[in-house]
Amino acid sequence: MAAPNGTAEAPIEVSAIPTVVGINFGNSYASIAVLTKEGSAECIANEDGERQIACAVAFFGEEMYVGNQAKHQLVKNSQNTITGFRNLLGKKFSDIPKDRPTASAPVIQHPDHPDEPAYKVQILQAAPTPLPTTASNTPAASQAATPRSEPTPAERILTVSEVTSIFLKSLVQSAEDFLGKKVQGAVISIPAWFNEAQRAALEKAAADAGIKVLQLLEEAGAAAVTATSNASAQGISADRTQLIVDLGSSALELSLLSIRDGLAHSLATLSDPGVGGDAIDDKLIKYFAKEFTKKTKTPLAVAPAADAQDRRAEAKLRLAVEHTKRTISASPGAATCAVESLKDGLDYTGSINRLRFDMEARSVYERVYAKVQELVAAAGLDLYDVDEIVYVGGSASLPGLDEHLAQGFTESIATPFTAGTVVGGGEGDPTTILARGCALQAKLLALLAEETEEEREVKSAFAYGSKWQQAKATNKTIGMLFPEENAEGPLGGQWIPVVLRETVVPARRTVSFEVDLGESEEKKVGFEVWEAKEGVKIEKIKPPRDEEEEEEEEEEDIEVKEKTVEKESLLASLTLAAKEASQKNGRWTTKLEVQFVVDAEGKLSVTAWEVGKNGRGEQASVAVGPA
Amino acid sequence: MANVVELPVVPPPLPKSWSPAESTAKTISPLVERRLLPAGPAYLAHVKRAVHKLTFEEHDK
Ligand SMILES: Nc1ncnc2c1ncn2[C@@H]1O[C@H](COP(=O)(O)OP(=O)(O)OP(=O)(O)O)[C@@H](O)[C@H]1O
Ligand SMILES: [Mg+2]
Repeated sequence: MAAPNGTAEAPIEVSAIPTVVGINFGNSYASIAVLTKEGSAECIANEDGERQIACAVAFFGEEMYVGNQAKHQLVKNSQNTITGFRNLLGKKFSDIPKDRPTASAPVIQHPDHPDEPAYKVQILQAAPTPLPTTASNTPAASQAATPRSEPTPAERILTVSEVTSIFLKSLVQSAEDFLGKKVQGAVISIPAWFNEAQRAALEKAAADAGIKVLQLLEEAGAAAVTATSNASAQGISADRTQLIVDLGSSALELSLLSIRDGLAHSLATLSDPGVGGDAIDDKLIKYFAKEFTKKTKTPLAVAPAADAQDRRAEAKLRLAVEHTKRTISASPGAATCAVESLKDGLDYTGSINRLRFDMEARSVYERVYAKVQELVAAAGLDLYDVDEIVYVGGSASLPGLDEHLAQGFTESIATPFTAGTVVGGGEGDPTTILARGCALQAKLLALLAEETEEEREVKSAFAYGSKWQQAKATNKTIGMLFPEENAEGPLGGQWIPVVLRETVVPARRTVSFEVDLGESEEKKVGFEVWEAKEGVKIEKIKPPRDEEEEEEEEEEDIEVKEKTVEKESLLASLTLAAKEASQKNGRWTTKLEVQFVVDAEGKLSVTAWEVGKNGRGEQASVAVGPA
Repeated sequence: MANVVELPVVPPPLPKSWSPAESTAKTISPLVERRLLPAGPAYLAHVKRAVHKLTFEEHDK
């Protein structure tokens, strides 16, 4: 069968990776990511072209809508439109606060299952197909097919679990339509506060939808996976303190993570329901309602609405500002808000610029900032200790938020806005980051072997509450001090941190650098190993006085912050004769590599060697207890 | 292979008077308990080393 020119048959795509997806399952929006051929993850659009798919299921007559189409039913068919179901998973009816007004189908006690929340919707049930016609009952003149008899109105009771199943199934269906293949497994994101009952309820709903759940992954974990999978490209240190700001519709979720060479643990978390996109919407729709009244002289009261008519106008405005916000995030220009027949048959088109928008949203930004400060303080750290901000959630796409937060951090803080990766589905896009992290995690899990007992043990480490998630971490930064003649500052030499505080053990770090050996022929390398105390020094200084300024205004002091390091305890010293040094302009230098290993019990081993023309030279090493 | 991080520093020559000092601490500060996020390749590697009881060098291979 050999073709003369060696034209091989198109290689069959033998992907070693099973077809798996990542699902970000928010309370308001969900998204799905798949793996690309190159092995990265990308969010896909459903058949309506939506990447952010509203968590809504609506019934209208014989039809059922899922996603953004369902959300639009909130205007005229709110009683039969179900939203907000994710947060009710695993809850008892008696646990659910009943005093909140709802713009969608109300939550009721299930008629049959004790203490179970459910929804009751009106549907039209298709009537059974009519019986075959007979000559005797068919009017002779008619050739048309006998119409089916009218569908009959009926009531349908759905549990939270059933609604979730319907919704998840439609997500997976979208993925299968896109991939042209059956989905074999999924990782689904969950909030940090999901307890065992909530996890179990979600697993069951997914199983009922025919989805094999590989893992329910905490949102912070999903975000960290995405953020660490591309860190090298951004040139951030692999050891860093990462702040995750997740601003969704109804809640703010903050996590402060210690990321150490990809390994992540949480230093503090904070959840603040009541701040998010919905709160921004409230401000925006009030703003536009006022503008509408100014323009048309038609009174309109929203958030809260005065009557049924205003309530409907409010629902329309809420849908419309969705577009306004996304435009504000995507480009620096003004954004419009357009609603047909907003009230009394009057259409409305208005616009808002960035400056005005940020003014309206300011109270939300301020609250996020206050909560970030609270979080970082709870971890015993300062904002200056944070190296990177990762944004998650639709409302975190707003550049005004990043600008507002940036003021408190070091100038070198890495954010997706400074890196320019937010818009256009970039790596830092907050609306896709969770689903992408879940997809990458799904790939990792799907490739795990399960042959031996040990391999199964490794796999089990990803399950909820596995003992392997318990770990020990260092409490102080350990590093090298190269003493220097007449050194400036209290350290007395050059400090090189190697194993940062909050590094999970066992840990290994290897660093390499040039060492200046001076002009002497006695070429010796030596350094001390210290544990250090790190902090941030805050100084208040008087702002520079403007001589010309006449007014004697009492100006506030300016805070100047500086990171500090103090030697705390000397652990060891190490010396090494430099045999590979080379001389340039009379000065000797050599290249040194130093490795620090902290084992599971906290024993530290430091090994140093030169790297010369022929590779690694002789080692010198020292160990510090426990025996 | 261990990931070697190249640092952009050049430590100065040792002072003439310097001699390796006696250490003041026998061990590093007590470790603290933490909970890892079970996510990503680094977590997998961490667990593999623990379950298969491998050192870093053994795991490199
Ligand atoms: N590009 C954007 N710019 C600004 N806001 C946006 C953008 N995209 C979505 N949003 C808003 O983000 C919110 C949805 O965010 P997200 O999908 O993170 O919520 P969620 O996780 O489902 O909800 P929650 O976390 O509150 O339970 C909505 O208020 C939506 O209007
Ligand atoms: Mg969310």
